[in-house]
Amino acid sequence: MKLRARLAVATILVMVPMTFALFWYDGAARHRAAEQKLTEFVLGQMPTAREACEAAPSSFGGELRPSLPPGPPRGARPPPGPPRPHGARPAVVHAYDESLHSANPDAPVIPEALARAIHEQDVAIASYVLPTSSVELLARMPWGTGPCAYVLARGTTDPTWGAVLPESNIWLLPTVAVFAAMLLALGPVVRRIRKLTEAVLRSASATYADAVLIEGDDEIGVLARAFNAAGREIRSQLEEKDRREQALRHFLANTTHDVMIPLTVLQGHLATLREDAAAGKPVDVGALVSAMDEAHYMASLVHNLAATARLEAADVTLQRCEVDLEALVKRVVGRHRPIAKQLGVSIETAVPGEPVTVSADVTLLEQAISNVTYNAVRYNRPGGHVAVILDRVANELFRLRVVDDGPGIPEAELSRLAERGFRGNEARSRAPDGQGLGLHITYRAAKLHGFRLTLRPSEYGGLEVELEGELDAPVG
Amino acid sequence: MGKRVLVIEDDQELGAQIVKRLRDAGYEPTWWKEGRRLSRETLPDVDLVVLDLMLPGTYGMDILKDLRVFSEVPVLVLSARNDTADKVRALRLGADDYMTKPFWPEELVERVRARLRRPTLGRGDVVEVGALRIERGRREVSVRGERVELTRLEFEFLAALAERPGEAMTRSSLAARVLDPERDGTERTLDVHVSRLRKKLGRGAFVETVWGIGYRLGDGRDE
Repeated sequence: MKLRARLAVATILVMVPMTFALFWYDGAARHRAAEQKLTEFVLGQMPTAREACEAAPSSFGGELRPSLPPGPPRGARPPPGPPRPHGARPAVVHAYDESLHSANPDAPVIPEALARAIHEQDVAIASYVLPTSSVELLARMPWGTGPCAYVLARGTTDPTWGAVLPESNIWLLPTVAVFAAMLLALGPVVRRIRKLTEAVLRSASATYADAVLIEGDDEIGVLARAFNAAGREIRSQLEEKDRREQALRHFLANTTHDVMIPLTVLQGHLATLREDAAAGKPVDVGALVSAMDEAHYMASLVHNLAATARLEAADVTLQRCEVDLEALVKRVVGRHRPIAKQLGVSIETAVPGEPVTVSADVTLLEQAISNVTYNAVRYNRPGGHVAVILDRVANELFRLRVVDDGPGIPEAELSRLAERGFRGNEARSRAPDGQGLGLHITYRAAKLHGFRLTLRPSEYGGLEVELEGELDAPVG
Repeated sequence: MGKRVLVIEDDQELGAQIVKRLRDAGYEPTWWKEGRRLSRETLPDVDLVVLDLMLPGTYGMDILKDLRVFSEVPVLVLSARNDTADKVRALRLGADDYMTKPFWPEELVERVRARLRRPTLGRGDVVEVGALRIERGRREVSVRGERVELTRLEFEFLAALAERPGEAMTRSSLAARVLDPERDGTERTLDVHVSRLRKKLGRGAFVETVWGIGYRLGDGRDE
C-alpha cells in the first residue's frame, strides 16, 4: 500500500470510531439530563395529580400539565416547565395499579424490562439506545396503592439539556481539515522518497560509484547518507574482491609456471631415454634419476601450492589434533628416502625412545618438516648426508633438527631471508639458494603453531634447521 | 607363505603397480577394483588392508567403518587429498596409517612391511642381532658363540643400542646414559670407547656409525 493511502486508512480507522463514540457520549448525556428532568417532573407533579387520577383512573393519562409550581427554585436556571422541548412531543404520563394494569384503555403496555426493573427500585428508566431521542420511565408513587400506584412517563430529549457537543456540526470541519492537511503535507515527503529511490537506483547501476545527493536534515536525508555509507562499504568490498581475484589469477599463473618447468624437464628426460632406447644405447641412469627427481619435486610442489593456498587465506585456522611426531618424522623420511637413494644422499633419522606428541595441524606441520628435509636432500650432492633428529628437551619441549652436509646457505643470505620470512624474489627459483617457497611455508607453519624455527650453518658445513616447540602435555 | 594383503584401489594403473610391487616383495595381494560394503563373511582372510579413500561404489571411509565393526586387521589408507580433517577422520575410524599420493612404490612396500613386522623384543633379557648375543641379566655378550669381555661402560653402551636394534641413537642420548660426566668425560670420550668395543666384537659392523646422529646396532653383515 502506498504511503498516502496507508496514512488515510489509518486516520479513518481512528477517526470514525472516535466520532461515533463522541456522538454516543453526547446522546447519552442528553438522555440522562432528560431522564432527570422527567423524573423530577413526574415526582413533583403526581402528588397533586393523585386525586384527579384516583377519581377517574380510566380517563387519567395524556399530557401532564403542572398545576403547581414545582419544587424549590434552583438558582438561575429556568423553572422546570413541563418537559416539552420545542418541536418535540410533550411528556405523556399514564397511571397503573399495583399489578401494573391501567384502567385507561389508551395506556400503553408497560415494557417488560421496566416492569422487571421496578421491583428493585423506585424509578425504572429505559436504557439509552442510539439514536433514539425518546425517554421512558416507570415510577413508583410514594403511596404505593390504588389505581395510581405506578406512573409511566414518556418524553423526549432536548438539545438544550445536557449536551456535550455543540448543536451545530461545524466542529467537524476542523477535524476534516486536519485530515486533509496531513495528506497534503505527505506530498513533499513522498516526492523526496521517490527522488531518493531514483538516486539509489542510479547509484546501484554505476556499481555505487556515484553518491546519492539528497539534502536535508530530516530522516530521508539521514537515510540518503546511510545509503552512501553502505555504498562505500560495498565498493571497498568489491575492490577487495577484485584484488583477491587478481591475486588468485597471479597465483594460478605462477603455479602453472612452477609446475610446467619440472614437467617440461621431465618430458625432456623421458624423450631422451626413449631415443636412447630406440638407438640401442644403454640406459642413461643420470637422466632416469633426474626424471625421478623432477617427479618427486613436482609432488612436493603441488603439496606446497595447496599449503600456500591455505596460508594465503584471509584467516588461517589450524585444525589442531594430537600429532605423534615420531610417526610424522618417520613418514617424512620414508617419503624422501627413495629419491635420496637415487640421488646418492644418505638419509638417517633418530627418535627418542619415548613418545613425542604435540598439538598441531598434522598436514601443515608435516609439510613444513617435509620441505626442510627435501631441501636438504635435493640441494645436496652425491655422497652427501642428511640426518633428521627428534629430541625431547627438559620433558616439555620437542626439538627437531634437520642437518645436512650440502652447500648450505651463506650466513648473510640466511639473515636476509629470515628478515623477510624466508621469502625472496628468488623464492620461486630452482637454484640451490632458492629454497624459498618450501622454506616460507615452513616458516609460516612454525609461526602459526608458535614453534621456533632456526636456520644456521651445520657443523658439517651444510645447513641445520631446528624446530622447537612445546609438547602437547608434559609427561610425568 | 607370504602375508596376505587386500588392496582396494579403483585406478587400473595404480592398482596394478601396487599389486605387482607387493607380490615382488613377497606378499600375497588380493585386488578389489571397487568399494564394497564389508561384512564378516565378505572380508577375505587377510593380514593387512590397503584402502584408497576415493572409490566408486562405496566410499572408503564407509568401508573402514564397516570393517572396524568386526575386524582389527591393520588398515593403510591411501588418499590423494592432503587434508587434515580427512586424516583425523580416517584415524578416528580406526585406520592405522595413511599415505598421501603420490608416493614411490618403495615407500608403500616399506610401510606395509613396517605394519606387518613383528614387534622387536629389544627390551627382553636376551637380544640376538645376527651373530651378536647380549644377555642383560648376566651382563654377558658373545659373538658367534664366543664370549667377549666388556667393561661396564662398553656393556651399558651395547645394551642401550640393543633396546632398539636397527634404529639410530644420538651420541648425546647415549653419552647421557652411559657416561658419568665427572669420571668419564664428554661425548668425545664415547668415540674412544666405541672404537675399543668394535675391536673386541671383531669382524662385522655390529656398532654402526650413523652420520650426523650417533650409533646403531647392526646385524654385522654390512662389512
